[in-house]
Amino acid sequence: MKLEEYKKIVKSISKKEDKLKNVLISFLIGGLLGLLMELLAVFLNKKLNIPLDTAYMWVTVFLVVSSSILTGLGFFDKVVSFAKCGLIVPTTGFAHAMTSAAIDHESEGLIKGVGSNMFKLAGSIIIYGVVGAFFFALLKGVM
Amino acid sequence: MTLNFKNSYILDIYSLLGRNEYNVSIKPDKLIYDYYDEEKSVEQGECKYQIRTIKGILKKTKMNIEDIDVLVGGDLQSQLFASSFSARKFDIPHIGLYSACATFTESLLVSSLLLENGCKNIIATTSAHNLASEKQFRFPIEYGALRKKVNTFTATGSVSTLLTKNKSNIKIESATIGKVVDLGFTDANDFGACMAPSAAKTIYEHLKDTNRTPDYYDLILTGDLGIYGIEILKEYLKKEYKINVKNILDAGSMIYDEKYLDTIAGASGPICLPLILFNKILKENYKKILLVGTGSLHSKTSCNLSESIPSISHAVSIEVIK
Repeated sequence: MKLEEYKKIVKSISKKEDKLKNVLISFLIGGLLGLLMELLAVFLNKKLNIPLDTAYMWVTVFLVVSSSILTGLGFFDKVVSFAKCGLIVPTTGFAHAMTSAAIDHESEGLIKGVGSNMFKLAGSIIIYGVVGAFFFALLKGVM
Repeated sequence: MTLNFKNSYILDIYSLLGRNEYNVSIKPDKLIYDYYDEEKSVEQGECKYQIRTIKGILKKTKMNIEDIDVLVGGDLQSQLFASSFSARKFDIPHIGLYSACATFTESLLVSSLLLENGCKNIIATTSAHNLASEKQFRFPIEYGALRKKVNTFTATGSVSTLLTKNKSNIKIESATIGKVVDLGFTDANDFGACMAPSAAKTIYEHLKDTNRTPDYYDLILTGDLGIYGIEILKEYLKKEYKINVKNILDAGSMIYDEKYLDTIAGASGPICLPLILFNKILKENYKKILLVGTGSLHSKTSCNLSESIPSISHAVSIEVIK
C-alpha cells in the first residue's frame, strides 16, 4: 500500500484535535497573562515610581522566576497541559523549558548533568534570539 | 519465518506496577506507588523494579538461582540500562534484547529457542518506565509536553516470566519472527499508525506459514496499538491482505480505565501485553491465542534526521492446556 492511501485510513479512524478550542484557550490565557503583567508594570510605574522601561524588565524577571519555581514544585506541567501555548509561547515557556531540563538531569551531577543539559531546549531560543537581535540592531543602525 | 516448538511452556509470571498517572484496571502481584522506588533517578528505579520481579518470580515458583539457565531481558532505555544493570545482581547467563514494545514477544521467542536446545528454565524479564521513556524519547519530564489524542502513554512497571521445558498449562506452540516494516510514516506521536502495518504483515505471514485462518485462534492479542491503532490494523489487514479479523483485541487499550481514553489512545510499552494476557485474558475462557507484540524502532536522533519510523512485530502462538 502506498503511503498516501495509508494516511487516508489513519486520518479516517484517528480522532481529530480540537484545534479551534486549543487556539481559543491559548489566546485567552496568553492574553490574560499579558493583561495582568501590563497592570503589574503600570502599578510598579505609578505606585513605586519605577520608570516604565525598568518596570517591564521587573515584570519579565517576575514571570521567569515564578514559572521556574512552579516548575520546580511540579505544578507547571499540569497548568501547561490545560493552558497550552498560552503559557508556552511567552517568557514563562522559556523559563519552564530551562528548569524542567535542569530537573531531569539533576541526578547526573551539577557539571555533566544540570550544567550541560539545562539549555537543551532553551538553547535554540537564546542562540537565535541573539542572532536575530544582532541583525535587527544592524538594520535599525542602517536605517 | 515461523518456528514450531515442542518443549516450551510458561510456568508462571510475576508482575509489578510502578506509579502510573492514570488508574490501572488490573491487579499486579506487586504495586509500588513510586516512580523512583527509593533510588536516585527514574532510570535506576526501573532497574530496581526488574530486580524485584526477578526475585519475585523465583520466590513464586520456589526456584533457586542455580535452577535458571538463562536470563533474557529487555527494556526501552538506551543501551538496555535497566536490564543489564539488574542482570549484574544475579549469577545467571544473560541475553539483552531490544525490539521496543515488541520486546516481550521477542523474549518469549528467544527463550523458546533456548528451551528447544537444552535449557531447562529461563526467566524472561521486561520493563518500562513512563518518565525514563519521556526523558529519552520526548521532552523533559516536568516540561509536560502537549499530547495529541492519538498519543499513547507508557505504562510503568516490570514483568518477569518463567519459561520451562517441563509441561505446564500454557504451551508456546509456534512463533513468527517479524520483518521491519516502514511505509514512510513520520508522526512520532501516533505509534498506533506507525506500528499497524508491521503487525498486519506479521499476522499475514504467520497465517500463511502455518496454513491457518484467523478463526483458528480464539483471540489475536496485539501489544500496544491503542484504540485507534487497532482499528487501523483491522482496516489495513482487510485492504492490503484481504484478511477479515473480528476476534482481535489490543492490550494497550485495556490497561487504563476507559474514562481516560478520550484524551489518550491507551497505554504503550512492552509490559502491556503480558499484564493483560496473564491478569485478564487467561482468566477468561480463551484456548488458542496469538500474541503480536508491536514495536516502533525510532529514536530521538532518527526523528531529528527526519527519518520515517520503522516498526517490527513478533508473533507468538500460545495454547492453554487445561
